[in-house]
Amino acid sequence: MSPGKPKLEEILEGADGSLLEIIDHVLNKGVMVHGELVLGVAGVDLIYLRLSAVLCAADKVLPAPREAK
Amino acid sequence: MIGLYAIVQGAPKRAVGARGEPLRELSCGEFSALTGEAPPQLSVEALRAYEAAVRRIAEASEACLPARFGAAAEDEESLRSELAARAAELDQALQLVRGREQMTLRVHGLGAPAPLTTAGAGARYLEDRRRARKLPELDPLRAALGSLIRAEHLERHWEPGLLASVYHLVDRGASVEYQRTASGFRSEGLRLLVSGPWPAWSFAPEVAIP
Repeated sequence: MSPGKPKLEEILEGADGSLLEIIDHVLNKGVMVHGELVLGVAGVDLIYLRLSAVLCAADKVLPAPREAK
Repeated sequence: MIGLYAIVQGAPKRAVGARGEPLRELSCGEFSALTGEAPPQLSVEALRAYEAAVRRIAEASEACLPARFGAAAEDEESLRSELAARAAELDQALQLVRGREQMTLRVHGLGAPAPLTTAGAGARYLEDRRRARKLPELDPLRAALGSLIRAEHLERHWEPGLLASVYHLVDRGASVEYQRTASGFRSEGLRLLVSGPWPAWSFAPEVAIP
C-alpha cells in the first residue's frame, strides 16, 4: 500500500464510514442498472439493446481465493 | 415500473418514499409490500435518501424486510405474483425480524489463522471451512452478548485486514447495551467496528430484483 493511501480502518472510522455502511447494507448483493441503447448508421436504427447490469462489490461475485498450502 | 421499499407487517399509515412520495400498500395476505416510484438513478444522494426512507418504515412497522436499492417490478400484479410464490419464506423471515433490528460488526484482523499442522488434509479442510463459517475468535464476544443476539449472519471477507462482517439481530431497545458490550470487547489481533441499529437488511430475502 502506498504511504499516502488511507488504510481501510481509517476510511471506515472516518467521515465516509457511515456512507460505506449504507452502501453495504442498501446494495449488498448489488443494484440493477437499466438502460436502452440504439446503434445506428446514417440515421438508420440498426440494433436495439435493452441492458440490465448488476453493480456490486467484487467479493460478492468473485470466488474466495484458495488458501495457500 | 414500480419500486419496492419493503415487505412489512403492521405497516405505517402514511409511509413516504425517498422522494417524499406517498407509498402504496399492496396487500399480499399475511403481509404487505410498500411500493413507490421506480428507482432513481444511482447516486450517493439517492442511496442516502433511500436508506432514510427504509429506516422510517422499519421504525414504524411491527416487522420489516427491507428491499435493496433498485428492487423493482413491472407492475403491482407481477410483484404480487412473485411475493405470493415466496409467501412461506417471507412469512418466516418476518417472524424472525418482528420487533427486532440489526447491529453490524466489521471485524478487522491480521488474516486467517494458520491451518492445523498436525491434522491431515481432510481435517484441515474441514477446520478451515468451520472457521470460515463461524469465526470462533468471536466466541467470547458472543458469550458476553448472550441472549442479546437473536440471530447471526456472518460473511467472511478475503480482503487484507477485513476478516468478516457480522450481522446480529437484537430486540428493539437493546442496541445501546449491545453497543456498550461490543465496543468494550478486546481480543488480541482483532479489532471491531460497531454500527447500528439498522433495519434488518441482512436478514431479508432478496425480492423483486428484475
